[in-house]
Parts: sequence; structure tokens; C-alpha cells
Amino acid sequence: MNQPIIEIEHISKVYEMGSEEIFALRDVSLSIYPNEYVAIMGPSGSGKSTLMNMLGCLDTPSSGVYNFKGLDVNEMDDNDLATIRNKEIGFVFQTFNLLPRASSLRNVELPLIYAGESTTKRKQRAEEVLASVGLQDRMGHKPNELSGGQRQRVAIARALITNPAIILADEPTGNLDSKTGVEIMKLFHDLHSKGNTIILVTHEEDIARHAHRIVRLKDGLIESDEKNSQPTYYETI
Amino acid sequence: MKLSEIVESIRFSFESLKSNKTRSSLTSLGVVIGIGFVVLMGWSLNGLEQAWDKTISTVGADMMYVDKWDWTGGRKWNSIRSRKDITIDQVKLFAEANHGADLTIPMLRSWGKRIGYKTNSIGGIAIMGTESSYGRTSAGTIETGRFFTEFEDERTTNVIVLGYGVAKALFPTGNALGKSVKVGKYSFYVIGVLEKRGFLFMDFIDNQAFVPLKTFINNFGSSRRSFSIAVKAESVADMDRLREESRGYMRTIRGVTADKDDDFSINESKAFDDNIKDIRLYIWSIGIGLTLLSFIVGIIGIMNIMFVSVAERTKEIGIRKALGAKKSSILTQFLVEASLLCFIGAIVAFIGCSILIFFGKMVIVSFYPDLSFISGYLPPNLLIIASIVSIFVGILAGLIPAMRAAKLDPVESLRFE
Ligand SMILES: Nc1ncnc2c1ncn2[C@@H]1O[C@H](COP(=O)(O)OP(=O)(O)OP(=O)(O)O)[C@@H](O)[C@H]1O
Ligand SMILES: [Mg+2]
Repeated sequence: MNQPIIEIEHISKVYEMGSEEIFALRDVSLSIYPNEYVAIMGPSGSGKSTLMNMLGCLDTPSSGVYNFKGLDVNEMDDNDLATIRNKEIGFVFQTFNLLPRASSLRNVELPLIYAGESTTKRKQRAEEVLASVGLQDRMGHKPNELSGGQRQRVAIARALITNPAIILADEPTGNLDSKTGVEIMKLFHDLHSKGNTIILVTHEEDIARHAHRIVRLKDGLIESDEKNSQPTYYETI
Repeated sequence: MKLSEIVESIRFSFESLKSNKTRSSLTSLGVVIGIGFVVLMGWSLNGLEQAWDKTISTVGADMMYVDKWDWTGGRKWNSIRSRKDITIDQVKLFAEANHGADLTIPMLRSWGKRIGYKTNSIGGIAIMGTESSYGRTSAGTIETGRFFTEFEDERTTNVIVLGYGVAKALFPTGNALGKSVKVGKYSFYVIGVLEKRGFLFMDFIDNQAFVPLKTFINNFGSSRRSFSIAVKAESVADMDRLREESRGYMRTIRGVTADKDDDFSINESKAFDDNIKDIRLYIWSIGIGLTLLSFIVGIIGIMNIMFVSVAERTKEIGIRKALGAKKSSILTQFLVEASLLCFIGAIVAFIGCSILIFFGKMVIVSFYPDLSFISGYLPPNLLIIASIVSIFVGILAGLIPAMRAAKLDPVESLRFE
């Protein structure tokens, strides 16, 4: 296999609560390669979100090494981290995290605004990705004019717009009913088969089974890291 | 920072301002009041200045008055009082010597006289005895009738030219001409009324009346009165030369030896101007003080509202950061938002003040028709100044909240509900 996109070694995250030290992550090592589809599982409080935030360069580890595409993330300043988040990472959140007053189009083009892209290019690209998630006729809708599944599709379109190296999804189906959840998982399946790298956090076995590799966390430690030989399969469109 | 980023920030700001109309209008209201207050005050002060300038200009920038008394009052009162009176002979010698002057006019005055017409009367009037040439100075500009003639200078005719204020008081309905007014036991025939010269608090300048010098001496006497000499220059540019020459002649005529100071003063409207400078400074400093105060209050208000706005939009800031917004982008966005609020406030204030001033002038002029020269509109450059100032105020007020927003931790902000 080629170079890993993400390579973390002996990562720890400690929160100081008064005199108490809470280890959200302990000595975690993990490598993610291009076009992998990884599910991170674990009970509540096991450190899944903490790990995702770290991988997404939203948070920095208390100790350990993090290389993103071979670059040492610990060496980066706030602006470098912002640029990585902008260009290399696509976030999908459980609560969608769309700007409530902006249209789908406007929400989706937001990363390109921070990338300094021109208005026409932005619009064209946003229409493209919105169409790719099946929302070509919902461009002008605001989040409160969309269903939960549609909102999550807008969020996925937004994550895709910069052609990121990796998509990080923290419980993307957590706020959706199971039928809509399945639709979103189909979408991830498509994205993966088109060559995207995906990391998915979930505590549902059903959802995790869509991934090709399952990492289990417990109390901030990696409990297991195994291949899923029979991922749930959908016909690609 | 890219221009496109600022353009986008303006777009974002409009979206966010629209979504919270109450708060936006409240913030703007503070700015509207602040800017409106400043603009209105500037307008009033400007009106006062105009009134003052008009007053000064009617005194005559091309005139100087050689006098025993000093208008500035700067020198010691005692030494001035002990000066010898200027006599008619000294005036004549001075007039003969001073060829450089356009006009040299002797004057005598008597303070605190009462002038009456039928049952009307007005006190505190200065009666001036002078010659017909005074009518050729800007201070002697006639509104109706005429100034007295050389012929009347020579006769001791009891003619009188009333100051604007006197005429107004005695003849509220106009047509003072041809009427007979009384000063003490003497009757005078009104031949002219002077143009208005004093505005607002300088009204007293118009409480004067002029009679021919010889008539004055006949009626009121010249003993224990010091002459003053009005000297008119060919042009304002000629004033410096004329002042020095006049000083030289007067020193010679009054026998002032080289080691002594002048025992007379040469007064000019400029000196008058210097005198009023303190008042002017006083008014302006009150104005500037109040302006600063309103700005400080405004800035604190906007700052507070921006803090609330940042707190409410913590989640939004987190989302933007997750999507790649740099600190500078967040900072710019909030600064633009604060500036935009202030800018809108400034525009509203300007429009509001324009309306107020338009009607304000109408009301003022209906009460004081003499003040019709004050402007009824705001100068357009004030709009530019107000806009720039408001944007600056916005940046100032928004800076700390914007910095707080920029510094927010992305993970914490995303967790915010
Ligand atoms: N800011 C913080 N301050 C203190 N402790 C924290 C903070 N953030 C997370 N933790 C702690 O770190 C641990 C891991 O939290 P994390 O959010 O990663 O769990 P999770 O696996 O995502 O759980 P869930 O499935 O409920 O989302 C928890 O024990 C949590 O209390
Ligand atoms: Mg979590």
C-alpha cells in the first residue's frame, strides 16, 4: 500500500478537571490509508469524538505524534490547521451543523469561500456536489425547509466540495430514523467506491458493518482494530 | 486579507443582521442617536460661527479705531483710565497727517441713553457723534433712508440715523423715516436706519444711534469725553502699514517719548475676534466633550451587543472554524458586522438630521427672521465624515468582541448549543 494519509503514534489526550486528570485517549496509534473506510466504535465516553476532533485538526493531542500526509501536525500553527481543515478534511456531524439562515447552496459553498475561490467557481462547484447527493432541486432551501436526511446530504455535499483527502463523520446517522440512516450509509458507500477515504464514528453495529475496517475504543484505549471481511454491500449507482 | 473575503463578510453580515432585526436596530439606534447628536451640535455651532462671522464682518475688517480705551481689555485697567483724553485738536492733527488712510472719522459716544418715540422707548443706547464719511464704511451701511450729509455735518441739524435694534424697538411696524424721536430733552429727525449688524448674542451692536458730531457736541457736550478716531484703510492688505503709521502719528501728536508705551490703543475687529476666541473655544470644547461622551457611550453599547452576538453565535463560529475559517476571517466578519451596523446608523442619522434641520431652520427663521442666513441642509462632506467616523467607531467597538470570537476554541464552540 502507499503512504498513509493519517498516522498517529502514542497519542494521548488529558483533560485536567481540578486536581483530577481525565484521560480521553491513552497511547493511541493508528494509520489510515487512502480509500480506506474505517468505523470507530465504542461505548459512550470512550473517546471516539475526541479522536475524531484530533484527526480533524480541530484539537491537538496532549502528547504523541500526528503526521498528516507526512507533515507533523504538532508543528503547525492555527492558520496551517485551518488550511488543512479547509482543504483536506470534510466534516459530517451528528447534528448536521448547517448555518440555519443560509440556503443549501450557501452552506455548501462556505468552505470554498474560506479557500478564496471565485464566486462563479464556487457556485458551479456547489451545484455540482449538491446534485451528486441528489439535492439539485433543493439548492435554495434553508435547513429548516429540509428533512433530516436532506440536511445531512447538504452537510455531506459541504464536506465534499473541496475534494478533501478524508471525510470524518461523527455519528452521521445518530439523529436520523433507520430508513433515512440507510440512505445516508448508501451515500457513504458510493463515496467510498468513488475513491474517497472515510472515517465513521458510530456505536451501532449495523452502521459499523458498512465499513471495511472496524476500530474499537474503550476508556480511551484501542481495544481492537480489525478488517471487516463482509461489509454491507449496496449496488453502486 | 483578500477583498473577496471582506465582500463575503459584508454578505454574511447582512444575513446575520437581517436575522436579528431587533438587536440590529437597537444597536443602530445607539449610533443614530450618537451621530445625530454630533451632527446637530455641529450644525448649531456652525450657525453660531456664521452669526459671529457676520457680526465681525459688519464691524469691518478694513477699519481700526484709535481710542483711549482698549477693546481687548488686556492691559491694566488703571493705566488705561489714567490716559489723557483724545482731544478734538489731536483728531484734527491726526487727520491732516494721515494721508495713507482712506477715511479718518472722528467719533464721540455717550453710553446708556434712552431714546423715545411717543409712548415707546428703549434704554441702554449708545449715541454716537460722527461725520458723514462714517456712512461710507461697512459699519455705516444703510438699510433704509440715508446717512447724514456733509451739509448736515456743518449745520447743527438734529438728524439721527438709528441702529437696526433701536428702529426695531421704537417702530416695530417699520417706517421710522421722518419720525421725530427724543433723546433726553432733545428731538431728532430720523433720516436713516442702519443694516442689521449683530446676530444672536451680539445683538447689542445694533443698539446705537448716530448724529452729526457738531449736533452731538451742542446737545451733549464734549467736556470729559475722549474722541475716538475711526480709520478706514484702502484695503485689508493695507491694515498693517496703516496701523504702524497711525501709531507713529499719534505718538508724535500726543508727545509720547521713545521710552514710554503708547498712551492710546488701536482697536480692530481682529482684536475683538481674539477676545471672542475664548468663548468660541469654550463652546467648542463643550461640544467636543459631549461628542466624545456620546461616542464612548455608543462604543460601550455596541461593544456589549457585539459580545452578546458573539456568545449567541458560538456554534456558528465553531462550524466556520471546522470548515477552515482562519482567526482573521472570523475577526474580519465581526468587525465588518459592527462597522456595517454603525454605518447604517450613520446614514439613518444623517437622513434624520437633514429632515430635522430642514424643519428646524423653518421654525427658527419664523421666530428670528434675521437668522435666515443659517443653513437648512447638512453639507454633503459631513455625510462622508460621518460614514468614515461610524465605520471607525464600529471597528473600535467591535474589536474586543471580534477578538474573543476569533480566539474561540473550535471543539468547545461546536459543542455549544
Ligand atoms: N472538554 C472536556 N473537558 C473534560 N473532559 C472531557 C472534555 N471533552 C471530553 N471529555 C471527556 O473525555 C472522554 C471522552 O469523550 P468523547 O466525547 O470523546 O466520548 P465519545 O466516545 O465521543 O462519547 P459519545 O458516544 O457519548 O459521543 C469523556 O469521559 C469525557 O467526559
Ligand atoms: Mg461523541
